[in-house]
Amino acid sequence: MASSSVFLVMVSGQIESAEFPEFDDIYLRYNLSYGQDWLVTSGLEEGISQIAKKSQDDRQQMIWNFPIDVTFKSTNPHGWPQLIVHCYGADVFGQEVNRGYGVCHIPITPGKHKLRLPMFVPESSSLLQKFTSWFLSRRPEYVDPRVIAQGEGREVTRVRTQGFVTVMFNVVMKDMKKLGYDVLPSDVSHVNMPENVGVNTETVM
Amino acid sequence: MAEVHIIGQIYGATGFPDHSLFCKWGIHAGGAWKVLAGDREGQSQVDNPVNQEAAFFGHPIDIHFATKGLQGWPKLHFQIWHQDSFGRNELYGYGFCHVPTSPGMHNIECQTWKPSGTYREQITQSFLGGGPQLKNPDLIYSSALRCKLVTTAMGTIHLKIGVILRNFDKFGIEC
Repeated sequence: MASSSVFLVMVSGQIESAEFPEFDDIYLRYNLSYGQDWLVTSGLEEGISQIAKKSQDDRQQMIWNFPIDVTFKSTNPHGWPQLIVHCYGADVFGQEVNRGYGVCHIPITPGKHKLRLPMFVPESSSLLQKFTSWFLSRRPEYVDPRVIAQGEGREVTRVRTQGFVTVMFNVVMKDMKKLGYDVLPSDVSHVNMPENVGVNTETVM
Repeated sequence: MAEVHIIGQIYGATGFPDHSLFCKWGIHAGGAWKVLAGDREGQSQVDNPVNQEAAFFGHPIDIHFATKGLQGWPKLHFQIWHQDSFGRNELYGYGFCHVPTSPGMHNIECQTWKPSGTYREQITQSFLGGGPQLKNPDLIYSSALRCKLVTTAMGTIHLKIGVILRNFDKFGIEC
């Protein structure tokens, strides 16, 4: 049997809820962005949720409970997948506008993780543009939301953080240890010393 | 060869006088370390948050190092800059932290400092902004010549960094 050089990462979780103090009636779209060495073996890379209304109580939360179930396979941890969440909501004119982008890496350790993603919108460059975009319901948006999963080209953007989305992940991995990758401190604490370390291999007279 | 993956993000910054900030970051490692993939430095977006208590960058870091030795373990260094409503940039702080040496997810808080000038410069600064900056940014993470600096404390940078190690146990390293 050929030794595998591939490890699997299975992510199951949900986009739970959001806090947007100023807005209501939000729905979201999620995308997964990953490097060249990664492949989705099962599950959906994209999804669109239902429209959630804010709760009337003190929590002021919008709850989606939107499931994410994806399995990746890869040869290299570089390009570890990232979840990109893009929220939309209706503005005062009834048009769907961009309410925020958020990004986070899928956690690299197996187990349960709860993450809070800040949601930001790109800002218009001038006051006039801000007014026109509000009036015409055409807010600044990224052409491809995957841009926020990269570091390049971000330095020229101005954004405004205006809410948070809470995401829960359960991560399971297969064969990371077999390929030599350690993701938990306990993996490295038991050191396997090869037998001939420290022994002079040449015969000594 | 042992390999280290640093996968995470610069989450945000708190504790600064104003939170319309951006962050320039870089990673520095010793001579035995080689970058196999990923950017060594970058600059985040400018955040102008509604809630002015924290700025959020969400800037991804994904670097793959290969190394032949432990000396010169990688260090992340940062410069926090403030951008005001007129588009002027002013330095708000320098900081650095070592990449954690144990694998797993880590929440790191990196404290920052700013060089402070003479009394006269401080008064000018409170009216006009600006202030002294380091000529050589290497001083952020090196200890040489630090004795000549006088600095004041600024806010905190929050990082969520995951570290994956490969083949460290084969070489007998315990971390």
